[in-house]
Amino acid sequence: MQPMLRARDLTLRYPGASKPALAGLSLSVEQGEIFGLLGPNGAGKSTAIGVMCTLLTADTGEVEICALNLRTQKNKVRPLIGLVPQDIALYPSLSVRENLSYFGTLYGLKGNDLRQRVDECLVMTGLEQHAWRRVQTCSGGIKRRANLAAGIVHRPELLFLDEPTVGIDAQSRHLILSNLQELQRAGMTMIYTTHYMEEAQQLCARIAIMDQGQVIAQGEPEILMAAQGCSDLQELFLHLTGRSLRD
Amino acid sequence: MLKLLATFKKDLLLLWRDRVGLLVLFLMPLVLVLVVSLVQNNVLQATGQSRIEVLFVDEDQGELGWQVLEVMEASPGLQLLTSHAGNILSAETAQALVASGTYQFAIVLPSGISAQFERDMRRQVGALFGFGSVPADSVAVEAQIQLLFDPAVQGVFRTAVTSSLQYALLGLETAQKGKLLQQALSTQNFGGAHSPDAASEQAPTHLLRTEAKAAGDPARALRPDAVQQNIPAWALFGMFFIAVPLAGALLRERQEGTLRRLLILPVPYRVLLAGKLSAYVSVCLLQFGLMLLAGRYVLPWFGTPVLEVGAHPLAVAVLVFCAALAACGYGLMLGTLARSYEQASMFGAVSVVIGAALGGVMVPVYMMPEAMQVLSSISPLAWGLNGFVELFVRGGGLRDIGGNIAALLGFFGVTALIALGAFKYHSRHGG
Repeated sequence: MQPMLRARDLTLRYPGASKPALAGLSLSVEQGEIFGLLGPNGAGKSTAIGVMCTLLTADTGEVEICALNLRTQKNKVRPLIGLVPQDIALYPSLSVRENLSYFGTLYGLKGNDLRQRVDECLVMTGLEQHAWRRVQTCSGGIKRRANLAAGIVHRPELLFLDEPTVGIDAQSRHLILSNLQELQRAGMTMIYTTHYMEEAQQLCARIAIMDQGQVIAQGEPEILMAAQGCSDLQELFLHLTGRSLRD
Repeated sequence: MLKLLATFKKDLLLLWRDRVGLLVLFLMPLVLVLVVSLVQNNVLQATGQSRIEVLFVDEDQGELGWQVLEVMEASPGLQLLTSHAGNILSAETAQALVASGTYQFAIVLPSGISAQFERDMRRQVGALFGFGSVPADSVAVEAQIQLLFDPAVQGVFRTAVTSSLQYALLGLETAQKGKLLQQALSTQNFGGAHSPDAASEQAPTHLLRTEAKAAGDPARALRPDAVQQNIPAWALFGMFFIAVPLAGALLRERQEGTLRRLLILPVPYRVLLAGKLSAYVSVCLLQFGLMLLAGRYVLPWFGTPVLEVGAHPLAVAVLVFCAALAACGYGLMLGTLARSYEQASMFGAVSVVIGAALGGVMVPVYMMPEAMQVLSSISPLAWGLNGFVELFVRGGGLRDIGGNIAALLGFFGVTALIALGAFKYHSRHGG
């Protein structure tokens, strides 16, 4: 079966940087799975997401999404992907509904389809009561859920989630993780970056641990932990990436 | 098109909800136009139409004082006051009032000035006809008419009042000399049609008269007053301030991560940018329209003349549109080059003020030093302002402002290209 995403030997060096941000990154994500992309600060996770979601162009290497090459078929890939950035990438003075409607329109939704899809996203993320609140007046948890809703308003095949649960309470985090599992059941593929190892262990069927722009381990968490004699993902992570601080 | 419209609507909504931004965009230029037009209207009146109050102290109480008072009061720009708070002015009081800035000018005629003036005239005329000399003591102590002025008064007003006084004195001197000459001629039995009495009744008249009027085609030209000159100028100045919120909106999208979301959309970024540009250009047009309405309906309440748009409203609309594009192009460039909102707002605001100063919004270009006049030609505000002067003051049409339109469009093209280049550079650097 064709993987949803296949990245091969990606390299990227930012102009003026001494070291490459990506140094031969390769990974494969199957259709319908939640794939965890883990790594310490500066490991290259955000750059990898940037390349895979068409924001950045790799110096070398190839990415295919749904068998479409990112270099040559970017415009065909973009409607298929969604992004939930680490920042609350919404317009603060617009309401939650206005934000979703705007991004939905840009994905080509209109009229009743748009309204219906916005309503679905609001219900799914538990934001019906907050639909008309301006984002700037919402709590951190509501903002995070709205950020997720904006990423899925067009029903993407592949969703990139860059630390979507940073800085929110347990209830909102629980709801978001439940939402993601629901989306997975509906057939959506996700690439998920997080620093919360218990989240990755709970959600992800497979993970890749990155360091210095490369994948240093890839596979099912249980198998990787067993292979290294670690009792949990946190221990495995520290075992592979070291205990020294990454500033 | 739907996506462009969605972005247009979104950006208008964002602007509408930014109440402070709206104040900056609409109220501030409106206040600016009102204040500057009213202030400059007063300045123009002070230099030509309304009367400057001048204290007049006559310690001499002779013939000359009455004559000076009469001639100077005939001057349309001056009003002479001989008393203050119900008391006849003394030289000391007048000096104190001017020094404190209560009044800006005082004319003081010292005691004995009439007699001295009379003696000097007779001496000069007598010397001409060989009537002999004047007593030496009268020449030794020369009384002078004093013009006292408030040191805070600007040079142009000082010059105006000094000139008026000198002109009046010269007129009196000429008339007096004429009278004495005629007396001398009649006593020498040269005969003549005019008796001395008849000559003394004649007031000094101008044989060469002057008339001030605007150059150019009188059928086309509009009234060259403060309203016609200031409203388009300051509205243009206010319009260029759109660069600050536009740059801010672009920077916020970059800093808050919205740009990342926008850039992975299946919509070319230029479409999103066109939507944003349309929203901000619309705001500029609305802003300028409001300024024109203020000039037509609000300012006249404060006693200014009514703004006239002239015979070419289409040309005005085209020029306003091109100026709006130039202002928004500048905002795009600023928003992509600046690294923070503080940078964009500070640099944006200061650069617009500099552009306005260079462009002749604050001081007319013809009054600037030569080097600054050369520099002025690179200010987009100068291109816009020259176009508006052509339309609002000289009564020109679309053909007359072709160069200004081309320059503004060129500026928009260059700034948009720089913005696009900077945007690509940031994208490549992961910014």
